[in-house]
Amino acid sequence: MWGRNGGSRGRTSLQRGAALGMVLSLLVVSPTSFAGGGQTRTFVVSFLAQQFTNNPGDCPGGVNPEDERGQIAVALRTMGHSSAEVRRLMAGWDQGGDGERKVNEILERRALINGEPVNPMTHPEAVPDPQLKFVEAKQTVGFDLDGKPSADDFVDLLTGKPGIDNQLFRALGCNQNFRGTWTSPSAYGEWVWVQLRDSQPAWLMTITDAPAGKPGEVIVRIQRSLDHLRSNMDGSPRWHATYRADPDPRSINEYRGYLRDGELTISRQPRFSILWNGLSAPVLNLSQFQLRLKQDARGQWDGLIGGFQPWRELYFAFSHNGIVGDRPGLWHAMKKAADAEPDPTTGQNLAISVAYRFTAIPAFVTAPGSQVRTAMRERPKA
Amino acid sequence: MTKPSRRSITVAASLFVVAVGAVFLWPDSTPRSAKVFQPPEVKAPRLTPEQYRSAITDVFGAHIDLGGRLEPVMREGGLLMVGASSVSVSPAGMEQFDAMAEAISEQVLLREENRRVFLACTPAKSDAPDDRCASEFLAPVGERLFRRPLTEAELRSFVSAAAAATKALGDFHAGLAMSLSAMLTSPQFLFRIPVIEVDPDRSEGYRLDAYSRASRLSFFLWNTGPDAELLRAAREGELDSDRGFRRQVDRMMASPRLEEGVRAFFYDMLRFDTFETLSKDPALFPKFSRREMADAQEQTLRTLVYLLLDQQGDYRDIFTTKKTFLTPSLAAIYQVPLAHEGPNGGVEGWEPFEFSAEDPRAGILSHASFTALHSPPGRTSPTDRGKALREVLMCQSVPAPPPDVQFTVVQNTADPIHKTVRQRLIAHSTVSSCAGCHRIMDPMGLALENFDGAGEFRLVENGQPIDTSGDLDGVEFSNSLELAQVVRDNPAIPSCLVKRMTAYAFGQDLTQDQRVFLKQMRVQFRESGFKVPDLMRAIVTRPEFFQAAPARAAVTVDTITASVRR
Repeated sequence: MWGRNGGSRGRTSLQRGAALGMVLSLLVVSPTSFAGGGQTRTFVVSFLAQQFTNNPGDCPGGVNPEDERGQIAVALRTMGHSSAEVRRLMAGWDQGGDGERKVNEILERRALINGEPVNPMTHPEAVPDPQLKFVEAKQTVGFDLDGKPSADDFVDLLTGKPGIDNQLFRALGCNQNFRGTWTSPSAYGEWVWVQLRDSQPAWLMTITDAPAGKPGEVIVRIQRSLDHLRSNMDGSPRWHATYRADPDPRSINEYRGYLRDGELTISRQPRFSILWNGLSAPVLNLSQFQLRLKQDARGQWDGLIGGFQPWRELYFAFSHNGIVGDRPGLWHAMKKAADAEPDPTTGQNLAISVAYRFTAIPAFVTAPGSQVRTAMRERPKA
Repeated sequence: MTKPSRRSITVAASLFVVAVGAVFLWPDSTPRSAKVFQPPEVKAPRLTPEQYRSAITDVFGAHIDLGGRLEPVMREGGLLMVGASSVSVSPAGMEQFDAMAEAISEQVLLREENRRVFLACTPAKSDAPDDRCASEFLAPVGERLFRRPLTEAELRSFVSAAAAATKALGDFHAGLAMSLSAMLTSPQFLFRIPVIEVDPDRSEGYRLDAYSRASRLSFFLWNTGPDAELLRAAREGELDSDRGFRRQVDRMMASPRLEEGVRAFFYDMLRFDTFETLSKDPALFPKFSRREMADAQEQTLRTLVYLLLDQQGDYRDIFTTKKTFLTPSLAAIYQVPLAHEGPNGGVEGWEPFEFSAEDPRAGILSHASFTALHSPPGRTSPTDRGKALREVLMCQSVPAPPPDVQFTVVQNTADPIHKTVRQRLIAHSTVSSCAGCHRIMDPMGLALENFDGAGEFRLVENGQPIDTSGDLDGVEFSNSLELAQVVRDNPAIPSCLVKRMTAYAFGQDLTQDQRVFLKQMRVQFRESGFKVPDLMRAIVTRPEFFQAAPARAAVTVDTITASVRR
């Protein structure tokens, strides 16, 4: 459409760029657009982390040892060392040098299989359970994933609904770096997100009016992008940036949901699966998936997604990161708290109920095969 | 005392602007006494930072690091290029020139890989002077840097300097580098010193000599000194014949380097140098960082080059065009989709983009290079934007505010009563001394209020809907798109371009004595369909472009004197 005139100035990259720009413009979906009478709104996920919503006093026995020294002492005691031995070993550890090396050697050999030492991080089941303390509380946030009341269920802090399944919170919520509130994410969640946002492809959410659906019925698609999340210079996520959708079917999740009064919900769905990052888990797999989001005046969505997640996958994500504390201890805690998908042979539950904080901001999405759609302004910026 | 009515203030202010416009722009204002072109006095403009960079790149290559920044040039008559004709060099600026000259000459002559390229000869001894080898280097380099051949005395002087430095330093190349450094700090390089000669076509008249003509032509069309071919044409007298001169003009107009000239002109006219000092509150405008500032300038320059050069379009259409170029970062500010797929997965880069018909953006007034540049750090300013439109694009003058004026009401964006800037300006304009000038600036700026201080679209301010209606010299509009059309159709727009471009080309504002030339250019511009390349060609192919009057006083800098060759 807009190459240079003929003559001696010749063709340039502008002309080649024009062709590409034309192609891309044909494939784009605007943050809010209409096609075939149905409205489509597109967003990029701007925060995602396991949600731990603690309350004062929910760990009556105190938090699990939060510093490295405390964790080591607990590990030594768990291995059967007497209090006097632990004091002596820790004094050596405090001195550094040979004393520290001796303690490290003991810890490295604390996982035994058939009497032979193995890597405690890759064989946490062979490490004695340090008996991490669990949350003792009645309230947190999450979803009723199984539809069945149980003694371990919580009441949702935000909605007041009972039957909330969030056993990951119960298992890990007394570890300092997992503790958080609704307004202040856990240190672990914040840390992981900061690592992930610049290193993994962004996630996209598209909401389209369901064809011939009831009022409020929408199709919600959550999928990966080929691009990572765009940020402003201050690190905040950039609104109205453009993302290329990843057509990989392994990361496309599409559900029927409801959009009423600025609240988007997806009720129990068998499965949610999206490629993730090894820092968290290679794939985020959730069964009995649910979603609940609210939109603010500026157009940002904020809420939760949840489901039952294989806890071993969670463990191996944690095992990369010393920030989480005594990692084999987490393995035992999650194993005990797991509440779904029992192994047919052993009866051990293989999945644990979780809730993830999920926020999304308006974005443009290039979607192969879509038509040009007219941009509609999002809610006015005050 | 009776307070002047709002209408009388408006009329008075409008008359002021019209009067100023009439003096500068309108053909009918040309006095009878100015029907004959009187050549302007010669000036010796200092190289702008970009011209310095281009000169070094042309002679030694883009890989040479300048090693510093040049002293800025002050703007005069709306242009840095005009200001460059009346600046000298401060002691600190001279130190900077000296440091850069040293850095450049060291890279050229003391780095083996560069020396092999630039120094064809080998000295007889590496620690002793070799005048022949020094001459072989200094003569051609000097011709490119001084934009004319060195005189015998000049060459002798630089060769002697190299020899003396070689003896002192015990190194031929270090000595030669010192001589090159002296050349780079010479006024003959740093200033475009014109040489005038008797004009064979006008009795008692003067014109620039062939080399000075080549310089003026090259700096205007390419924003750099003459290339080897143009210097050859000057040397061999081709520029003295109409045919030879036009051949060179045709060559230069057809060159891709014309784009550099056009970019340099609009960079200057649109005051993009002021981006250097622009700041935005990151808490209010987190999207708008240094990168977006650079992109904003580039967006406008690309748009202008595309429309005016590639498409040979009508200059006035720069105010209404929907076509532009964006990066993904800018697209996020404009809230439009744009993906870029660069090499190795790069996602930042330029793509052509066309705003939809219903999009509120059209033309350069809606670019962030205008809306953000003419806004304070934490808010918009319809007054600043309106003033910029009047002064930058319409060549009109707006009086300075009274010294005792209070801006508190306008600047208080948290005012619970006056929530929009329109309301605050109305409150401010109850002061009669302010009202008149605001009347000629604010309406155009208010039409752009849908674009916040960083150029992002908005419909409300502090929860209040934004009213974008207004008028420009009595022509009403209701939003920025209509303003763009009104501006496009305003006769001051093309007249202003002619005024600025001729001043840029001459390196000085044309005065009463040259107004007839302006009038002719306005006519030619209109007849060409407001095509900028045609205007550029018209300027350079008129004999007046090279006519000159000897400086009545020395050209201010002690070391610079316009020499007259009779």
